[in-house]
Amino acid sequence: MSTETMLILVGILVGVVSVAIFYVYYLVSTRIETISNVAEEEGYPDRTVFIRDSLYGKPRPLSWSILFYDDAKSIGLRYIFTGLLFMFIGGAFGVLMRISLTDPNPTIISPTIYNILLTQHATIMIYMFAIGMAMGFAYYILPSRLRLKRDNMGHLSSVAYWMWVLGGTLFVLSKSSMRWYMYPPLSLQLTPFGAGAYNWLAVIAMELIFMGMVMASVIVLKIIFIDRADDIPLSQMPVYGWAVVFTLVMLVSSAPPLMVGLGMLFYDFFNPIFFVTSTSTPLAFAILFWFWGHPIVYIAVIPFFGLMYDIITRFTETKVYSYFSAVLSLGLLLILSELVWGHHLLNSGLGVDWVIFFTTASFIVVIPSALTIFNMIATLWTAKKIRLTTPMLFVINAIFDFIIGGIMGVMLADDPINQAVHGTYFVTGHFHFIFVGLTLGVSMAAFYLLFPTFSNGRVYDERLAKWHFYITAVGSFLMSFSWAVGGFLGMPRAVAGYFAYFQPYQDSAILGGVIIGIGQLVFLYNIAKSWSTEPATDPYNILEYRTETNQVMGGGK
Amino acid sequence: MNKRQTEYLYAAVVLIVLTAAAIVNLGYVVGHTSNIPQPENNSAVPANSSVIQVLGYQWAWQFTYSNNTTTTDVLYVTAGHEYTLQVQSRDVIHDLLIPSLGVQVYAVPDHPNQVSFEPEKAGKYIFECVEYCGEDHYLMRGYMVVSP
Repeated sequence: MSTETMLILVGILVGVVSVAIFYVYYLVSTRIETISNVAEEEGYPDRTVFIRDSLYGKPRPLSWSILFYDDAKSIGLRYIFTGLLFMFIGGAFGVLMRISLTDPNPTIISPTIYNILLTQHATIMIYMFAIGMAMGFAYYILPSRLRLKRDNMGHLSSVAYWMWVLGGTLFVLSKSSMRWYMYPPLSLQLTPFGAGAYNWLAVIAMELIFMGMVMASVIVLKIIFIDRADDIPLSQMPVYGWAVVFTLVMLVSSAPPLMVGLGMLFYDFFNPIFFVTSTSTPLAFAILFWFWGHPIVYIAVIPFFGLMYDIITRFTETKVYSYFSAVLSLGLLLILSELVWGHHLLNSGLGVDWVIFFTTASFIVVIPSALTIFNMIATLWTAKKIRLTTPMLFVINAIFDFIIGGIMGVMLADDPINQAVHGTYFVTGHFHFIFVGLTLGVSMAAFYLLFPTFSNGRVYDERLAKWHFYITAVGSFLMSFSWAVGGFLGMPRAVAGYFAYFQPYQDSAILGGVIIGIGQLVFLYNIAKSWSTEPATDPYNILEYRTETNQVMGGGK
Repeated sequence: MNKRQTEYLYAAVVLIVLTAAAIVNLGYVVGHTSNIPQPENNSAVPANSSVIQVLGYQWAWQFTYSNNTTTTDVLYVTAGHEYTLQVQSRDVIHDLLIPSLGVQVYAVPDHPNQVSFEPEKAGKYIFECVEYCGEDHYLMRGYMVVSP
């Protein structure tokens, strides 16, 4: 291609792009002008306040407009659907890892790629999926549930959301293979054989995710404590509200040490002084990490406990067995779970005194979890009837899986057992029972419940939804159980290849993992199919209280 | 039984089970301090115990015995004799696990750890690195041969 042709083509391209940009600008500015006029007629000095006031408290279906409007519900929808999107990306990575492990030697996927998938799967699932769902449901359900008086921090929420998305996206693009623990000195090795050549980008991405999460948490806490309707005292707030409060207080109080740690880690790329052997110890970072790393796994569980209470009481038409004990145990979880982080490092040479402290604390942290599960079972037990809808099935399965995963957790708190199985698939089985059974299951339950609201009155296919549930439940049990058994025999986790001796346990886990993947495809098909049908029901839903407009407006009249 | 009593009863049962578990754990830890990984500089090597220097690096384990011989990815020990592993790392954090003996100890750069164990049955057992340490982490594994 000659230079002239090239210049002409570039010229045309620039011209077309400019026209397109101008057209978009024209559309947006006319729309803004129209809205400003309407707002002025309604007596609002500020356009954005008018938009928020006219949107909030109303059911908010999914549309592209959620990306541009900053009311709490739009932010909630953004978080929920971004979380789901990342769940499918992370899930695909998980299934790819399983497929690679069909061979004890990494022939299908190279170890380098496998390690990238490993890192990305964990980070995406925790920071993008679990946190996205937790934030999303809080933003979406709480405003109507607590009948907010005002909704005036939308811009900041939006900034927090975009930082979080940008962080997640950059983390995936960084192709980091440092594992979600980010332990230096490995994370400082900027080679494909260490943490990946672009690992510095991953550290920045993590910092962005953290800033987004902390900002959003503070805003949601402000929504709950300050903007709540005056006739809802804290003592009568739904258990879900409390669950969100405890989660976010935990997030805000335990994230800063690691945020500082990440900053120091980033500095170490240029001038290694913080986590290198001559001036410090790499274990210092491990401790900063787990001070946050343990609470984060509770952050991925506690809001879903709240949703479980909600769903159980809806479908049994009863009250929570003991409101006081429900809130107390969630509160205890907040305090105790910040004291057990050392059990991730029991074998790292903390010394006998700390081993005793952390193992004992780890036994104690089980008490509130056990009380929570007791409370849920007692609510089901004393109910007159139980409607076994798809969300209810997910919740019952979550209780079942949480009990198994929880008992495995108690075993891990025992130091001799911990020495034998720490770092093996036993641990992976322990938290996949909880994350797939509870975090994923309850997210799906809440999603199904809110689907008519999201989709403006459309109804999902109940039969397909049941299939989704059964396939996911069976697959998740098979996968986690095989891991638990294999792990007890010493099958190491986070490896691209393994001793052929472990083949049977890997194979059954692979089968389980693929089954879970198929289950999520059924979900996707169901949602896509249902969305293309005509609206058939009231878009209001049972987690969405009908709100009367007795609220004080954020501005204007 | 009313609601409150049921709750108290359940809480008491949970508390008793967990307290019992915690006490058993405490008893083990206090009674087996040399079997718990500890920093090398604040614990003595038990008497009658042979020291094996372990060096983890990307991506192999190297064992140096008291007679200054060295093996890589194979650990030779004798049944019925106590050994103390002094574990170090040259580059990143590793974690040595011998699953059938329940021995696990981190290899941290510049932070040598020490743990003692006594193999009882002759045979060939696996050991492996269980702290992700880069590209060939999965190859950081080998066999422990216990001779009678």
